[in-house]
Amino acid sequence: MKLRATGWMSTGAIMLLLGACAAAPKSKPKNLASASVEDLAAAIAADSERSDGGVDAKTREQLAADADGDAQACLQLAPKAAACLYYHAVALGLQARAHPLRANELLKTMLESLTAAQAADPDYDKAGPDRVKALVLVRAPGWPLGPGDVDAGLAAARRAVQLQPQHPPNQLALAEALSKTGDSNGAREAYQHARELAQVLPASADRDDWLKQADQGLGLQR
Amino acid sequence: MTTLFLNAVATLVFCAPGYPGAAGDAQPYVDQFAKAAATSAGWSAGSLAAAYDPTEAGGLQKLGNPDSVLTFIPYAFYVQYGAQLHLAPLAQADVADVGTQERWTLVGKAGGAADAASLAGYTIVSVAGYAPEFVRHSALQAWVLPADVKIEATGQILSALRRVLSGEKVLVLLDQTQSAALPTLPFAAQLKTLTQSAPLPVALVAVIDARVPAPRAKAFQAALLKLSAAAGGADALGALHLKGFVMPQLPADTGKP
Repeated sequence: MKLRATGWMSTGAIMLLLGACAAAPKSKPKNLASASVEDLAAAIAADSERSDGGVDAKTREQLAADADGDAQACLQLAPKAAACLYYHAVALGLQARAHPLRANELLKTMLESLTAAQAADPDYDKAGPDRVKALVLVRAPGWPLGPGDVDAGLAAARRAVQLQPQHPPNQLALAEALSKTGDSNGAREAYQHARELAQVLPASADRDDWLKQADQGLGLQR
Repeated sequence: MTTLFLNAVATLVFCAPGYPGAAGDAQPYVDQFAKAAATSAGWSAGSLAAAYDPTEAGGLQKLGNPDSVLTFIPYAFYVQYGAQLHLAPLAQADVADVGTQERWTLVGKAGGAADAASLAGYTIVSVAGYAPEFVRHSALQAWVLPADVKIEATGQILSALRRVLSGEKVLVLLDQTQSAALPTLPFAAQLKTLTQSAPLPVALVAVIDARVPAPRAKAFQAALLKLSAAAGGADALGALHLKGFVMPQLPADTGKP
């Protein structure tokens, strides 16, 4: 509905699982006073991972604020660095989750930042800019309620796969985009491919998560 | 039915097929609304729960549950299922930026089909496509569609408009928000408006199958009508992008359940 959709569906519902789109950091750096671009990017990624962990609204808001501060610091340090542009986008995603009434505007800026990151280094985080862009475009409410566009999302997912075909999350993003555009056979193939790629990787939490996502996708498609 | 209210929590089911949003995302907002409306109606604390379902099948399943006593639905859903589910409208939503009524607009490719008679073999795509009764007899009441016109539901209006541009025999039925945004699209000049509906209700709150005793329904109706002035009401409404409610003003030809 527009109460239906213009309002709550386009804002409350827009709180996406964006944290999961970016590679998880191993730990959050303790001292950011003299932080490098890499430190700040890792700090934002850590905030993103924590925010995904089922924290309360207040904590989520704090994490989003922290990530925003780190993203601004990163952009001051290296305004054209793919890492800063990419994690600025991730920070905006956290803000969109924390502030759903501003989600549309934040997600639009997020997409712009991802486009800039893609231009700076399309391979960053194993084609992360295109992968995250694909997921935002596929999951966000579509025109005119939000920036979602499944056709553009599918194109971004295809670019990510073309750049880094061996990275399971790229295949998972492609599978999701294909599913949303009605290509269930293509989606099943991509989920299966993601599963096969993940299975040959060394054991890790990421690998387990990718396998779980692939299995869920295959289950949904059956 | 009175027993139900004494022993169980009644549920207000929000159902919005075709529009974005997952149940978990919407839950805090529908909870807030149910709490504010029930309090305003003088119902006991916790006596009204809320549930949201973005799918037609899921919504219908929830509405069939005996604990589901009230529903908040788009008018299209009411036209399609009102008689089947014995829905009795209590109030009509006043939606921010839209109002209590909206017009639906049929658009096609400029230079393409121009009238109902030329639509043979076409598919009409709409967010309300799950409700063919609404599409044929409410939104496009002024047009007698050829029998072979197909009606298709979609939540991806932009993709549907691209299908129109690509030359597919597709027309898109837009709600008021969508048609108002049409000029913002870079390819808007390649589209044309074929017809527009009369003003129709946007959304309704209705009692399901007389599951709310008449006095309680009346109290709830009164509460909805004054909700914007009630404690917590404005916030609850605002979270759902609502301004308030008015008495139902259904078109004269809307089927009576």
